Amino acid sequence: MLARLRSWTTAVFRRRHLEREMADEMQAHLELRTEHWRAQGLSPEEARRRARLEFGAAARYQEECREARGVRLVDEMRADIRYALRQMRRAPLFSAVAITTFALAIGANTAIFSLVEAVLLKSLPVKHPHELLELQWRHRHYGRGFVSWYFHGGDARRFEAKDRVFWSFSFPIFRHLRERTTTFSDVVAFTGIVRMSVTTGSGAELAMGQLVSGNFFHGLGVETILGRTLQPGDDTLVAPTVAVLGHDFWQRAFGGDPSVVGRVVYLNTAPVTVVGVAPRGFQGVWSGRGTDLWLPVVQHRLIDFPPAPPDALENPACWWVRVMARLRPGVDPETARVEAETLVHRYIAEAQVPKEEYDLPRLALDDGGRGTDTARWMFATPLRVMGAATGAILLVACANIAGLLLMRGAARQREIAMRSALGAARWRLVRQLLTESTLLAAIGGGLGVLIAYGLRRVLPQVLRPDGNPLELDMEPRAFLLVFSTLACLLTGFACGLVPALRATRAGVQPVVTRTSVGRVESPRGLWGGTTLVAVQVAVSVVLVVAGTLFVRTMLNLRTQAFGFRPEKRLVFQMDAWLAGYDGERLSDFYQQAIERLTAVPGVRTVSCSEFGIPAQGLGRYTVRALGHNGTIREAAGHVHVIAPRYFEAMGIAFHAGRDIDWADREGAPRVAVVNEAFARRFFGAAPPLGRRFEIVGNESVEVVGLVGNVKFEQVREDPPPTFYLPYRQDRRHSMTFVVRTEGDPRHFVAPLRATLGALDPNVPLYGVNTQEQQIEAAIQQSRLFAHLVSSAAVLALLLACLGTYGTLAYSVARRTSEIGVRAALGATPPQVVRMVLRESLAPVLVGLAIGLLAALAGGHLLHAMLFGVQPTDPATLTAATLLVVASALVAAWLPSYRASCVPPIAALRCE
Amino acid sequence: MAPRADLLPGTLDLLILKGVSMGTLHGYGVLLRIEQITGGALLVEQGALYPALARLEHKGFLDSEWGVSDNNRKAKFYSLTAAGRRALKQETDDWQKLATAVAAALAARPAEA
Repeated sequence: MLARLRSWTTAVFRRRHLEREMADEMQAHLELRTEHWRAQGLSPEEARRRARLEFGAAARYQEECREARGVRLVDEMRADIRYALRQMRRAPLFSAVAITTFALAIGANTAIFSLVEAVLLKSLPVKHPHELLELQWRHRHYGRGFVSWYFHGGDARRFEAKDRVFWSFSFPIFRHLRERTTTFSDVVAFTGIVRMSVTTGSGAELAMGQLVSGNFFHGLGVETILGRTLQPGDDTLVAPTVAVLGHDFWQRAFGGDPSVVGRVVYLNTAPVTVVGVAPRGFQGVWSGRGTDLWLPVVQHRLIDFPPAPPDALENPACWWVRVMARLRPGVDPETARVEAETLVHRYIAEAQVPKEEYDLPRLALDDGGRGTDTARWMFATPLRVMGAATGAILLVACANIAGLLLMRGAARQREIAMRSALGAARWRLVRQLLTESTLLAAIGGGLGVLIAYGLRRVLPQVLRPDGNPLELDMEPRAFLLVFSTLACLLTGFACGLVPALRATRAGVQPVVTRTSVGRVESPRGLWGGTTLVAVQVAVSVVLVVAGTLFVRTMLNLRTQAFGFRPEKRLVFQMDAWLAGYDGERLSDFYQQAIERLTAVPGVRTVSCSEFGIPAQGLGRYTVRALGHNGTIREAAGHVHVIAPRYFEAMGIAFHAGRDIDWADREGAPRVAVVNEAFARRFFGAAPPLGRRFEIVGNESVEVVGLVGNVKFEQVREDPPPTFYLPYRQDRRHSMTFVVRTEGDPRHFVAPLRATLGALDPNVPLYGVNTQEQQIEAAIQQSRLFAHLVSSAAVLALLLACLGTYGTLAYSVARRTSEIGVRAALGATPPQVVRMVLRESLAPVLVGLAIGLLAALAGGHLLHAMLFGVQPTDPATLTAATLLVVASALVAAWLPSYRASCVPPIAALRCE
Repeated sequence: MAPRADLLPGTLDLLILKGVSMGTLHGYGVLLRIEQITGGALLVEQGALYPALARLEHKGFLDSEWGVSDNNRKAKFYSLTAAGRRALKQETDDWQKLATAVAAALAARPAEA
C-alpha cells in the first residue's frame, strides 16, 4: 500500500523525472541489444533494426508503464480539467451564474454547519468530556413540599410528559451528593452567569462572573495557565476572597499581563485576589456564554446572587445551583442515576423533613460533555430551521445548475456525438462532463468557503439568547473543510450526473447526420428540465411560505410583544448598593432619585423596578393562597419588585384596586399587586382584591390591585402569573428605572444624567437605552431569522425563475422550426404564446402543489418559532402562491413571446 | 532457433520475480536471465518487460536504483523486496499446484475416468 502510494506520488509529482527515467531505461535496453547483435556480426544498421523489432512499439509500452503506475488517470483528469477550463472560458455567462450559485449555496451551508458544529457538536475543552453528566430532575409540582425557591428549570415544553424539568439543586444536597457518591469520581456545582463590575487599576469593567464550587476546576480537569485554580479550601467562609480570570477577560482588561496573579481587584467594591488565569478556549460549562471570572460559591453575597434568600448556602429548600458529575470509568450511568436519586430522596426525607405530602423528584442524567444543554436546547430548533433553509437553497441551486447543464449538454450534443464517433467511450465522456460540473462546484465552493470564513464573526450574532451575542469558538477547523469539500464534490456530481448521462445517451448517427438540432422535441425529451423546474418551484414555495411566516412573526413581535407600551420611554439601571448604600438608605436613595427625575421638565412619569423588560433569568417563588372554594392552592409565581406608579410609567393596563404607594414601606402591612394570570390561577373567578397569599416561608401579603398581563422573558410564552411587591418592603440592590417622556426619549439622556449626578456622582448608571430599542434587541433573533429565511426564499425564487426561464428558452429554441411551421399554418402570435405558456406552466403548477403540501405538512415544525400567526395561515399561503405563480409567469413570458415572433420562414431556415 | 512458446498471462511477472530473485539486474539483464533460465523457450516481446517491471515496482515487489552496468553504462537496477519475495513464493506455489493439476488432468486416460 505504502509502496503504491510512494510510487504514485513520485509518478504524479515528479512527472518529468519519471518520463526521463523511462526513456533512458528503454534507450539503454535498445543500445545493449544493438551491441548484442553487432557482436553476432550484423552491420550497425541491421543490428539496430533487429533490436527495435524485437523491442516492439516503445510508445505503447511507455503508455502501459504510465498506466501501471496509475498515472494515466491523473493524466486524463488533467486533460479533462484543462478542457473544462477552456469550456468555462467559452461560456463566461453560464460559468459565472453557475459559480455564483454554487458559491452562495455552499457558502451558506458551510457557514451554518460551522455554527451547528460550534453550538451543538463541540465538546468542552476539559479532560474526558464524555464522562461528564449534568444532573436534572423532573417533577410535576415544582418540587412542592421540599422546594420554596428555585432558579433553573420548570420548563415543560421540552417533554411530552406533564413533568417539568429542573436543573437546580440546593447547595446542601450538592454537598451531600459529593460526599456520599460512590459512582461519580467528582461532583461539581455552578450557577448561572451574573453581570458584575470589576474595578482594575485602570478603571471599571463590566464582567460576566460565575459562582462555582471549589472543586470545579479539578473536577473538570482544567488547569490554569497562570497561577492556580480555585481549590476546595477557597470555598469556605473563612477563606480570603479569590477569583480565577477567564483568558479573554485577562487579555481585555489586563492586556495579558502575567503579573495579574496576586493582584487585588474590586468586585462590586469588594476586594478580591486574583489567583489564576484559565486557559484560552475554556469558557466554563455554559456553552456559548463567555465567562470572565469564576468565584467560589460561598461568595454569593458578594455579587448578590441568587436574588434570593441570603441563607442560600444552608437553606435546603432553596434550589439554585446546577450540578455536573464525572462518572467513574466502568460505571453504568443507570447505576449512578439510581444511586444519586436515592441520595437525593433520603436527604429530602431526613434533612428537610417535609411537613406535608409530596412527590419525590425523579432524577435524570444528561450529557454534560458539551456543556449544559441550555444553549443546545435553545438553538436546536433555530439551527434546524436555518440548516433546512440553507439546505433547501443548496437543493434549488443543484436543480438549477443541473437544468443549466442539461441545456448546455443539449447545445453541445454535436460536439459530444463527434467525440464519441471518434471513439471516445461513453463513460469517458461522462467523466469529462462530470469533471466540468465538479470544477464549477469546486470553484464556487472555494468562493463559498471564503464567504463562510468572512461570516464567522457575524454568525454568532444571529443567535442572541438574551440580547448578548453568543461567544463561540468559530475558528475554521479541519473537518469543516472536509465538509465543504464533500459538499462541492457531491453537488458537482449530483447536478452533473443526470445531464451527463442524458447528453451522452444519444447515439452517434442521428445527431451527426442531421444538420440542425432536433426538429420536434417530444415531451419526454424535456422530462429532465421540467422535473427540475417543478423541484425548484416546490422548494421555493416552501421557503417563501416560511419566509412570510417569519416576517409576520417579526412584525407581530414588534407591535404586540410584551403587554406594555414601549414608545417614548427611556430605561437605565442604577446600583446604589455598589456605591455603599444599604438598608433603608438604599430605599431612600431610589425614592429621591424618582422624585428628582420627575421634576425634570418634559418628564411625565418615573418609576423603577427590580428588572427591566425583557428580563433574563427570573426567580420564581412557590406561592400558597386560599383558593376561591376554600382549598389551598400552591403553585409557582413570578415576583417583580417595583416602586409606585410603575404601571403608569410602563403603560401596563391597571384594572382594579390601588397602586403600590410610598406608604407601603418598611414596617407597614405587606401588600401586593397581582396580574390577571395570577388572579385566575390562585383565586379563579373570584375578585382578587383583599385576598391574601403567602410566599412559602414568608409572612402573608394582601392583594390590593389587579393589573394586566405582561411577559417578562420570552415574547412567545404565556404571560406568567406575577405578583408585584413594593420595593421598600422587599429590598433589591440594583434597580431599573423607566422614564416616560413627552418627546423623543433620547433627548432626555443628558438632563437625567445631570440630575442623578447631582444626587450622588458615585452611583453608577448603566444600560441607558430607549424601551423600544430594548425590545428591538430582544426580538433581534426573530428579525435576523425573518431576514435570513426571507432572503433564502428570494434567492430560491430567483433561482427557480432562472431555471424556468432557462428551460423554456431552451425548449423554444429547439422548437423554432416547429413553431415556424405552426405559424406558417396560421397560428397567430397570441395562440403561440398561450401554447408555450400552457406547456411551461404545467411543471410550475405541479411544483406549486407539492410545495404547498410540504409547507402544510412541515409547518408545525416552525410553530414554536412563530408568534401571532399560524403555520397554516391562509393569507400567507395565498400570498406565497400568488408570488410564485407571478414570478413563474414573468420567467415564462419572455421565451413565449420570443416564440411568437418566430417568422414562418425560420422553419425553412432551420433545415 | 528452437520453437518458442507463447507466454501465459501472468507468467511474465512470475518469471521477472524469479529472475530478479537470483540477483540484482537491470532491465536488459532481466531479459537475458529469463532467456537463460527458460532455455530460450519462452517468447517475450522485449518492450513488454518494462510495463511489467513498472507494475511490480508499483506494487512494492521490486525496488529500483540507478547504477552502472558491467560495460560502464547508466542503468536502472531492480532488486527483490521482502514483499516481492513473499509474492514469489506464493505465486510459485500456486503455479506448481496448477501445473500439477493440469498435468494430472492431461495424463488421465479414459479407463481411469
